[in-house]
Amino acid sequence: MSLLELKNVSKIYGDLKALDSVNVHVDKGEWVAIMGPSGSGKSTMMNIIGCMDKPTLGEVLLDGVDIARESSKRLTDIRRDKIGLIFQQFHMVNYLTAVENIMVSQYYHSMPDEQEALEALGRVGLRERAHHLPSQLSGGEQQRVCVARALINHPELILADEPTGNLDEANENIVLDLFAQLHAEGTTLIVVTHDPEVAEAAQRTIVLEHGKVAREVINENFEAQQKEWAKNR
Amino acid sequence: MTRRKMFLRMITASLLRRRSRMLIALLSIGIGATILAGLITIYVDVPRQMGAQFRSFGANMLLLAEDGKTMTAEQMDKALEEIPENQLVGAAPYRYIRVDMTTRQQSFTAAGTDFEQITKTSPYFSVEGLFPEGTREILIGREIAENIGVREGSGMELTWQPAAGSTEGDPSEDRQPGAVLNGSAEGWGGGTVYVTVKLDQSSRITSLTIDAGTQTPEIGGLTQTDENFTSQFIGLSLPLEPGKDVDALSGATVTSTAVVEALNTARSAEKAAAAKTVKYTVTGILTTGGEEESYIFMSLEDMAAITGTEAVDVAELSVSASAEELEAYAERITQNTDSIRARLVKRVTRSETAVLGKLQSLVFLVTAVVLILTMICVSTTMMAVVSERRREIGLRKALGASDGSIRAEFLGEGMFLGLLGGIIGALLGFVFAQVVSVNVFGSSITFQPLLLPAAVIVSMGVAAVSCLRPIKRAVAIDPAIVLKDE
Repeated sequence: MSLLELKNVSKIYGDLKALDSVNVHVDKGEWVAIMGPSGSGKSTMMNIIGCMDKPTLGEVLLDGVDIARESSKRLTDIRRDKIGLIFQQFHMVNYLTAVENIMVSQYYHSMPDEQEALEALGRVGLRERAHHLPSQLSGGEQQRVCVARALINHPELILADEPTGNLDEANENIVLDLFAQLHAEGTTLIVVTHDPEVAEAAQRTIVLEHGKVAREVINENFEAQQKEWAKNR
Repeated sequence: MTRRKMFLRMITASLLRRRSRMLIALLSIGIGATILAGLITIYVDVPRQMGAQFRSFGANMLLLAEDGKTMTAEQMDKALEEIPENQLVGAAPYRYIRVDMTTRQQSFTAAGTDFEQITKTSPYFSVEGLFPEGTREILIGREIAENIGVREGSGMELTWQPAAGSTEGDPSEDRQPGAVLNGSAEGWGGGTVYVTVKLDQSSRITSLTIDAGTQTPEIGGLTQTDENFTSQFIGLSLPLEPGKDVDALSGATVTSTAVVEALNTARSAEKAAAAKTVKYTVTGILTTGGEEESYIFMSLEDMAAITGTEAVDVAELSVSASAEELEAYAERITQNTDSIRARLVKRVTRSETAVLGKLQSLVFLVTAVVLILTMICVSTTMMAVVSERRREIGLRKALGASDGSIRAEFLGEGMFLGLLGGIIGALLGFVFAQVVSVNVFGSSITFQPLLLPAAVIVSMGVAAVSCLRPIKRAVAIDPAIVLKDE
């Protein structure tokens, strides 16, 4: 069942076509990586899917709604209700503690619930770091808080932009493990990356070049990887 | 946890965990609020302060008896009832008489007054020595002191002689029925005309005997016997004016005039006999820079002791009130009190009103300037805060914050700063106003309980207005752009 569908999506800045008639399809529960060199249109696509930008042409169906036609106010609502965002630079509110940062997301979504936020932190293994400020957390810890924050409102889609770009290998693996776990639970994941290792963890990789889908790669080993992961837990 | 609790938690965390930023914003609001609260306190207090200052320039209202007569102390007190007690700074009665300094054959104006009131109505009176406190003590003007060479502690003998036309100093009550006064004047041809007159206790003529002496019997001599001529004097008060108060005997104008003069002489002699001479002690020399320096001042009691009456010519009032209030009081006194008219000393009341108006508009202007400066300062600080927190704002938007939420959060922070700044400002502002008041006006001010809520509301308002532009900028932030910035 389709969660996201991009139909002939173009984003044009003057003479530049950042996205050029892109067609992408993501099913519910799928784990998809979007790869490509700098300037290939990854970020533009990520912004459009994340309801932070609108395409110049084409349709973007998210859960059946064409988000290309919505007002920015509606886009804010859709983003809040359906999407969990993870960024390369983590982005935490620097004067709020880890748990408070998660509660901010709850606050904008519905009701802040400290207990639930603490449980989410527990899921990413940071229960005991709940009352630390971002400056007291390592990069990997911060990104894990951000994963917990992205999950807290049970979004339809987790959209991660270079989630491991600023992490060392150990932390990268922790984050990928978390993604595997989310996938196992049925969460739809779209991970924008230029790191082949991160892309290889996904079920399917869409490669962008010059604003077009150059090719799609199906990960044949995905089933085996998931089994391996389940065994190691 | 409710959304409101989370809202407060975020705002307080932002203010408490970003202390340096918060202190700068708080400082600008606090300083603004301090100056505003201080100026407003002074603005409100200035009329009172300046009122007290202006009172040092002297009386601003006069009470006068009607038609050059005198008023009694009771009449004056009744008039004073028209002025609220807390606004009446002082009321000094004055009674003026002429006195002679027998030893030097000079005469001066003596003023009877209440020295305690004078210190209030005329604080500019500068006395070398002391104000009189006991009886038979006087204060003399510097001009007189220099002229006749008396000093503090000197003795001074003064003689008072009642004016010929007045009943003051008359022995009226003591005048024995049947007591006679004798007088004489030169008549026709160098001859002398004698009169013997009896006066009642009100100094009216009850009987008159004329001795025409060597005047021509069938002309001037008839003044002795002509009933029509003599009877017209009965019931009249002395002195008389020849040819006006009484008609001359036909053909004997000179003798008739001599009769009147003889009567006046008799009366003058009685007055002279009533003259009183008292020896006073000079307790101090008065310097005012005005005409008071040529007066002698004594207590009303001392003056009553020589004149026999406690009359008051004029009262000088110092009233701490606006020009409009003063006019209302004056009108009420004139209407409600018989025989007393109240007049404003326009020179004083006008300049008070003018200076007060100028001072208040100056304070108002400075207040407005400070208000604008505070707004600019707070707005600039909040602008810096927004630009510093661009990424956080972008993140909040990415997490689903609506424009309304962003507005509410920044406004909330601004208003919270306004609240704190207002409280600090009200307290420091009072201290500031107090320091200004003590140094400039030399008096302290009382804390206005309304100042605190007023300062808080104003600074919250200023903070809110100052936040409008920064908030507009915050709302315009595009999360897609700021979250990508390296």
